[in-house]
Amino acid sequence: MDVDLRVQLGRLALCNPVMVASGTFGYAREMAGLVDLGRLGAIVPKTITRDPRMGNRPPRTVETAAGMLNSIGLDNDGLETFLQKQFPYLAGLGCAIVVSVAGRSHDDFVYLVERLGGVPGIAALELNISCPNVSGGVDFGTDPAMCERVVRGARGVCDLPILAKLTPNVTSVTAIAQAAAGGGADAVSLINTCLGMAVDWRRRRPRLGNVLGGLSGPAIKPIALRAVYQVARAVDIPIIGVGGIASVDDCMEFLVAGASAVQVGTANFYRPAVTMEILDALPGAIAELGASSVAGVVGTLETANGTGGGCPPPAAQGKMDQPITRKSFRYT
Amino acid sequence: MSDWPTATIYPDHAWCGPTEVVENVAIARDTYRVRFGCPQLAAEILPGQFLMLRLAGTDDPLLGRPLAMYDVVLDGGRPWGVDVVYLAVGKLTRRLAACRAGDRLEVWGPLGNGFRPTGAEHLVMIGGGIGQTPFYALGQEALGRSYGRTDRGGRAARRVTLCYGARTAALLAGIDDFRSAGIEVQVATDDGSAGHHGLVSDLIEPLVGGSGPAASLVCCGPEPMLKTVSRIAQRLGVPCQVSLETPMACGMGICFSCVTKVRDGRGGWDYRRTCVEGPVFDAEKIDFD
Repeated sequence: MDVDLRVQLGRLALCNPVMVASGTFGYAREMAGLVDLGRLGAIVPKTITRDPRMGNRPPRTVETAAGMLNSIGLDNDGLETFLQKQFPYLAGLGCAIVVSVAGRSHDDFVYLVERLGGVPGIAALELNISCPNVSGGVDFGTDPAMCERVVRGARGVCDLPILAKLTPNVTSVTAIAQAAAGGGADAVSLINTCLGMAVDWRRRRPRLGNVLGGLSGPAIKPIALRAVYQVARAVDIPIIGVGGIASVDDCMEFLVAGASAVQVGTANFYRPAVTMEILDALPGAIAELGASSVAGVVGTLETANGTGGGCPPPAAQGKMDQPITRKSFRYT
Repeated sequence: MSDWPTATIYPDHAWCGPTEVVENVAIARDTYRVRFGCPQLAAEILPGQFLMLRLAGTDDPLLGRPLAMYDVVLDGGRPWGVDVVYLAVGKLTRRLAACRAGDRLEVWGPLGNGFRPTGAEHLVMIGGGIGQTPFYALGQEALGRSYGRTDRGGRAARRVTLCYGARTAALLAGIDDFRSAGIEVQVATDDGSAGHHGLVSDLIEPLVGGSGPAASLVCCGPEPMLKTVSRIAQRLGVPCQVSLETPMACGMGICFSCVTKVRDGRGGWDYRRTCVEGPVFDAEKIDFD
């Protein structure tokens, strides 16, 4: 059976739902020998800022249980150098390029978006309002009013589809997602890294040069799935699931939980060809659910309260001794 | 000598995939040599380049570890596999030390730039701790034996010396390998249990003092040692390449973790990625301060 892998994220159409996440794939040129770049649904190159940023002092990453912490600090050569040196290569790949931008201020974001809006060959922009490693930018991801305003500001100066990448380090990611939707975002990317820390007690030192960093990898997948599930029930715009995706099973979990596409991040670091493996296996996994398209599986999670239902009532928890069968499970 | 900025070496010829341990033997205290098959990688890898290795089928440890090629294993004259020598010090390497023939690994490489052929009459290789590992292949190449890829050329050295420093004699690994390949070995230990009682860098000046460009230094080990050797090389007017042991998450240039301070030629410096712009740098380009 032919499976239709195309996905529509607001105004952004992709040939398949497997993207690579910002900051986990360099500027793609690095991976040309290991990945068939043209097969990817989209590439999100490393976040760029208006001016060059040196990034944080090393050590910038440390491995943790089934994950890693990073405090890279948006090390990049700035917008104009990106356009001169990195973008021409990306534009020739025949794959959608979603440029990730971060700013310290509202005006920074608007400037970046307006400048990039005039560059042919960009498929969409992703507003990185969630990097935990730089001061300033993350405020837009934690304050709904600021989030809505910056998304609206971006929409106002640019015709490209706008994605907002959100942080899980908030009380209610749903509130932020609603704000992004209210500002006119085409889709939201959920989640950026979870703020964390590692300590070398013998030296009484943090293991990261910047003390705190963002946790990523398989360790955060349950948090990301939870965020996708919650937001899928609260907003109408599509969701791009990000967080610990390292196999086709992970990818399918996100689609079923409500994501319309996924971004593979940390797994690129330790399984360089993981995106190709996922793409090879995805049609078979979708067909296994009896569907013939990605859209046919998105948000089809079945819970006690029906498709996409809410949390089980507290009284029912711990009583799930019956096997859960589709459409037949009920709490007793 | 290359101009700044250093060249970026993308892993365009890299291979990634599953492989199996063929053998994994202890060669010194906490030090092992693991062999695995990877013909495409073995045919491409150069002395000083590295590969990333991880244990298959587990998320913990999650990331690969950068490890230097120790030797290329031939089968019927053709590159077939790679030997890697490692110190069991952390989560992954301790588990790797317990691996047996048939255990599964995931490997990608070759990565990084490797040592540039020096053409020097006397190649002096300075290794500290586990930093001797890239020098078995380099020393053999310098003495005229080719490694898989034969396009490097370069004039053969008349003399190749390994200056090898370790905390104690029990940690010295592979000295017989080096000697049987025709490489002179001089040893220094912190506790005086073998060779010179003191720093490995103490061995350099008596070897190369006054020989100028006829000698060339290559160095791999802990950063304080690299810094000391760089200063000695500068004082003696001898060219010196250093291979950095910066921790890495991906090895391919995509994570931007393994940055080091590289001089920009204008009195400043910038963080550059050790994996794709190194791990080998001309010593004067590194800002060790």
